[in-house]
Amino acid sequence: MGRTWTLIRRRLLQAIPVILIVSIGIFGLLELAGGDAVDAYLAVTGGGDPAFAERLRQQWGLDAGLWVRFLAYVESLVTLDFGWSVVMSKPVSVAILERLPNTALMMGAAIAFSACLGTLLGGIAALRKGTAADAGITVGALVLNAMPSFWIGLIAIVVFAVKLAWFPLGGIASFDRPDLAIGRVLDVAWHLVLPVTVLGLAYMALYVRLMRSAMIETAASDWVRAARARGLPRLRIVRRHMARPALLPVVTMLGLQAGNLLGGSVVVETVFAIPGLGSLAYDAVSQRDLPLIAGILLVGTLMVIVVNLLVDITYARLDPRVTDDRVRAGGA
Amino acid sequence: MATEFSLSRRHLLLSGTAITAATLLGRQRLAGAQPARDGGTLIAAADTEPRNLNPAIVASNGVFYVASKVIEPLAEMDYETGLRPLLAIDWQGSDDGLTFTVQLRPNVTWHDGTPFTSADVAFSAMEVWKPLQNLGRVVFRNLESVDTPDDGTAVFNFSEPTPPQLIENAMPALTSVIPKHLYEGTDIAENPHNQDLVGTGPFRFGEHRPGEFYRLHRNEDYWAETLPYLDEIVFRVFPDRGAIAAGLETGDIQVSAFSAVPLVELERMAAIDGVSVIPGGYEGITYQITLEINHRRPELADPRVRQAIRQALDPSFIVDTVFLGYATAATGPVPQTATDFYTDDVQMYETDTDAAEALLDEAGYPRGDDGNRFSLRLRPAPWFAQTRATGDYVRQALRGIGIDVEIVSADPAGHINAVYTEHDFDLAVGSPVYRNDPAISTTILFQGGLPAGVPFANQYGYDNPQMNEIISSASETIDTAERVGLYNDFQRLASEDLPIINLVEFTFITVARDDVQNIANNPRWATSSWADTWISD
Amino acid sequence: MMRHWSIGGVIGAAVLAVLVLVAIAAPWLAPGDPLDIVGRPLLPPFTDPRFPLGTDQLGRNVFAGLVHGTRVSLLVGLAAAAAAIGVGILVGTVAGFLGGWTDEGLMRVTEAFQTIPTFLLALAMVSALGASTVNVVLAIAISSWPATARLVRAEILSLKSRDYVDAARLAGMSRLGIAFREVLPGAVQPVLALIGITVGVAILVESSLAFLGLSDPNQVSWGGMVANGRAVLRTAPYLVAIPGAAVAVAVLSVSLVGDAMGRRLLVSRER
Repeated sequence: MGRTWTLIRRRLLQAIPVILIVSIGIFGLLELAGGDAVDAYLAVTGGGDPAFAERLRQQWGLDAGLWVRFLAYVESLVTLDFGWSVVMSKPVSVAILERLPNTALMMGAAIAFSACLGTLLGGIAALRKGTAADAGITVGALVLNAMPSFWIGLIAIVVFAVKLAWFPLGGIASFDRPDLAIGRVLDVAWHLVLPVTVLGLAYMALYVRLMRSAMIETAASDWVRAARARGLPRLRIVRRHMARPALLPVVTMLGLQAGNLLGGSVVVETVFAIPGLGSLAYDAVSQRDLPLIAGILLVGTLMVIVVNLLVDITYARLDPRVTDDRVRAGGA
Repeated sequence: MATEFSLSRRHLLLSGTAITAATLLGRQRLAGAQPARDGGTLIAAADTEPRNLNPAIVASNGVFYVASKVIEPLAEMDYETGLRPLLAIDWQGSDDGLTFTVQLRPNVTWHDGTPFTSADVAFSAMEVWKPLQNLGRVVFRNLESVDTPDDGTAVFNFSEPTPPQLIENAMPALTSVIPKHLYEGTDIAENPHNQDLVGTGPFRFGEHRPGEFYRLHRNEDYWAETLPYLDEIVFRVFPDRGAIAAGLETGDIQVSAFSAVPLVELERMAAIDGVSVIPGGYEGITYQITLEINHRRPELADPRVRQAIRQALDPSFIVDTVFLGYATAATGPVPQTATDFYTDDVQMYETDTDAAEALLDEAGYPRGDDGNRFSLRLRPAPWFAQTRATGDYVRQALRGIGIDVEIVSADPAGHINAVYTEHDFDLAVGSPVYRNDPAISTTILFQGGLPAGVPFANQYGYDNPQMNEIISSASETIDTAERVGLYNDFQRLASEDLPIINLVEFTFITVARDDVQNIANNPRWATSSWADTWISD
Repeated sequence: MMRHWSIGGVIGAAVLAVLVLVAIAAPWLAPGDPLDIVGRPLLPPFTDPRFPLGTDQLGRNVFAGLVHGTRVSLLVGLAAAAAAIGVGILVGTVAGFLGGWTDEGLMRVTEAFQTIPTFLLALAMVSALGASTVNVVLAIAISSWPATARLVRAEILSLKSRDYVDAARLAGMSRLGIAFREVLPGAVQPVLALIGITVGVAILVESSLAFLGLSDPNQVSWGGMVANGRAVLRTAPYLVAIPGAAVAVAVLSVSLVGDAMGRRLLVSRER
C-alpha cells in the first residue's frame, strides 16, 4: 500500500508544474483573443451602452490591469477556489460538477470498450498471424482509425437512431426519468451506447496494433518456446506467457491516450448532444469565461492524472518487476 | 437584436407556402370542433439555455421563449386589438408626454403567495428596466420616477416628452415585472431568482437540468381563472436541429419554435401525417439581414460606392437561395410586417451590375490589372447560418463588379468586439430585430455620435445631421400621425443615403404536432405566455 | 526498393499520389471559387452532369468543394505535421543533449502538453485567435509535437554516449553543434516513422475543428462540408457521407504510407 501512496504523491507533485504551465498559457491565450466576457454577454443579450459595459467589467473584475487580473487568477488556482463563472452565473465548481459525471462516464466506458475490444482483437490477430482474420482485423482497425469520429457518429445516428430507432437521437437521459434507480441506470446506459461505441471505435485501432505486435513479439520469446517445449496447455501459454506481458505497452498507452480521449469527447458530445465537460469547455471559450476555462482544464488535467495513476497501479500489478524507473520515465 | 449565440444553429425562415397554409386551415377546423381541454404535458424543443433567464434584465427571444410563461409583462401583442391587457388593465399617456399612468390588475399574486402591487412595477421600472435592461436603457432613458398613489396604480414620470405610442409598443417586450420583495437590496444582476424565476404567469418555474431540460408547472392560482390549460411545459434542450425534426416526427417533441427545424426539412415535415408547419406568430419580432458598412474606409464613405454595392446585390437571390423563399426582400429599415410605420415611398434599387460598375468607375475606382478595384474585409455575424451564407453570397456578388472580398470569421465575443468597439471591419453582415417600434432598436443603427462600444448600434462612422434631427424629433413627438410621418422620412433618408444596406426580412416558423392547439394566435406567440395552449385528444 | 513495401503501402501510396494530383489540379478540375453558389440547392449526386456529386443547400458544387478541400486538408496536414515535428526535434535534441535542468524543464513542458487534452487546447486557440488557416496549423502543431520530442530525446540519449560524439567533443565542437550536426541525423531516422501518424492526426484534427465551425471561411474544408450537411442529414445524407469519406480516405492513405515507411526503416536499421 505504501508504494501506491508514493506513486500518488509523485504523480500529484509532477502535476503541479504541468498545471501551472497550462494555466499561464490559457491566460495568455485569452489575453490575445479579441473581446472579453462582457462582449460575449452583450452578444447574447443584445446590446448595451458603454456605461453599462463599464459597470459589468468592474463587477466582473475585468477592468483591472493585466497583472492584477493575473494575480487574482493565480490566486484562485492556488486556493483551488475556482471562483464564480460570470457567464453561467453560478460557481465554477457547480458548473463543472453538473457536467463531470456525464463526461467521466462516457470516457471511462469508452476507454474500457476500446482497450478491451482492441486487445482482444489484437490478440486474435496475433494468434492467427497471416490469415484472413488477421488481415481483416488489421485493415478494419486502420480504416476505423482513419474515419473522423463526428462522421461515424452522424452515420450511426442516421442508421441506429433514425432508421432503426434502436437508440435515442442524443442526450444523456430521458427527461421523464424512470422512477426506479435501476431504470435510471439502464436509461443512461441506453443513451450512452452510441456515443461510447463511436468514441471507443475511433481509439481502438491503437490497441489492436499494439497488442498484435506485442503478442507476436512475446510469442517468439524464449519463455514461450520453453513453455511449449514443456508441453503446457496452449490456452495457458497464451494467457500467462503471451498476453500478460503483451498487455504492458497497452496499459501504458491507456494513460497516454486519456488526454486525447477527453479531447475527442468534445466532438462526440457535440454530435450526440451530451451535456458534458467538452461542450462546456467549448461554451466557456466562446464566452471568454476565464475562471470556467481554467477550472475545466484543471479538472481535465486531474482526470488524466487519475487515469495515469490507475495505469501505474495496474502496471505494477501486472509486472511485479516494475521499478520506480517506469514511474519516472512513463510520464503523464 | 436578440442574438443568441446558439441561434446560429437555427435556420430562420419567413412565412408563406401554399402547403403550410393548407395544413394550417385543417388544424383550425379541428380545433374549432372541440372545447379546450385541461391537462397534459407540452414538450417543446429549445436550443439555447440563457445564462440569465430574467426577461426584465435580458429582453431577448431566447429568454422570453422559456421565461414569458413564468414572468409577465404589462400587456401582450394581439392580432385584433393590437394590445391585450395582462398585468395592466388600462393605460393612458398625458398630452405633454411627461406622464404615463397604468392601472394594474387587482388580486394578482406572485408564485410565492405575496400580493402583486404597483410597488413591484415601480421597482422593476426604476431598478431594472431603465438601468439594467438591454432595450429599456434606450426607451426608458428619460424615466425619472414611478409614483404609486395606490397599490393598483403606477404613474411613470418622464423628464422629456416621451411618446405614449412608444411606451405602448414597448410594453410586450420591455415591461416584464419581477417581484420587489425578492430583489430589493440584493445584487439584482446576480440574484439567484434570475435562474429560479418567480413571477405572476400561468406557469411556475420547476426545474432546470443544464443541457437537458427546463420544466414548468401549472400555476393553480393564476389570475385568469380557467387558465392555463396545460399541466406542464417541458423545454427539452436539443442543440442539433436535425434531431428536433426527427423528434417531431416520432412525437418526442410536440412544438419547435424559432425555425429550429431546418428550412430544407419543412417541405418534408409538412407532408408528414400529424405534423404541421406554421408560418405565423412572429410578426412582432421581424428580423432583417443587413450589410453593415464602415464609413471610415474612404471608398465606402462615398455614397456612389454604397449605391454600387447595393446594385450589385440581389435580395431576391438571398430570399430564394439562402432562405428557400421563406423571406422577403427588404426596402428599408422598417419591415413590411410593421404596417403602422412602414412606407414603400422610398428610393428603390434594381439589381444592375453594369450600372454598379459604371458608378464605381465614376467614383474613381477603375478595375486594376488583376480585375479588382479594391479589397474589403467582410465579417458575417456568426450567430445565424443565414448571416454566414449571406456573407458568402456578398463575397461572390461583389467579386462580379471587381471588389475583392475576404471573409473574416470570429466567435460572437470576437465579432462584437471587432465590429462595435474596434471598428475593425469594412463590411459586416448583421441581423437586427425590429421590435414593434422604430425607436426601440432600429433608429439606433442610424443615429450619429454614439460612443464606441455600443453593440448593435451605429458604429459605422455614419453621422448625418439631417438623419440625427429626424431621429431626435421623432423620439419626442407625442402626436401619433406626426410621429409616423417622421419615421417615413427616416425610411426615405435611409434608403437614399444607404448608411447600411437592408437586404431581406424574415420571421420564424413553428413546426408542431397536430394535437397542440392555439398555436401562433398572437404576433409574439413563441415568446408569449401559452396560457391558452392546450392539447387535444 | 519496392520489395519492402507491403500491399497496403503500395495502395496507400497510389491513393495518396492521386490525392496530391487532385490537389494540384484543383483549379483545372473545378474552375472557379468552390464557395460560389452555382446551381439549384440540394441536387442529388449523379443527376446533373454539371454537378456530378450534386449541390449543397446553398447550391454550391459538392464536387468542386471536394476537389478544393483536398488542397486544404493535405496542406494543413503537411504543414502542421512539419511544424510539429520541427518543434519536437528541436525540443527533443536540446533536452536530450543538454540534460540537467534544461532537460528537466523541457520535459515538464512536454509532459504538460501530453497531460492536457490537446484538442481542447487547439479548440481554445482557434476559437480565441480567429479561424484562419495559419491559426489552425499552429494550433494543431502546438498540440501534437510532444510525441516527436520524447522520441528524439530518447534517441539522443542513447546516441550521445557513442564514440564519435566523444571524438567531436575532443575536436572542440560546441555542445549544441555536436547535437545538431553529429547526433541529430542519427536520431531523426525513427522520427520518419512518425510522419504518417502525425500527418494523419493533423488531417483528422483539422476536419474536427472545421466540423465545429473553426476553419478559414474563405476556403472549403471537408470537415466544414460535413458540418454544413449535418442540418440536412435526413434529406440529403450524401452531403455528410461524401466529404467524411474523403477525410477517411486521405487519413488512411497517409497512415498506410507512413506504416510502410516505418517498416522499411526498421528493416534497414536492423541490417
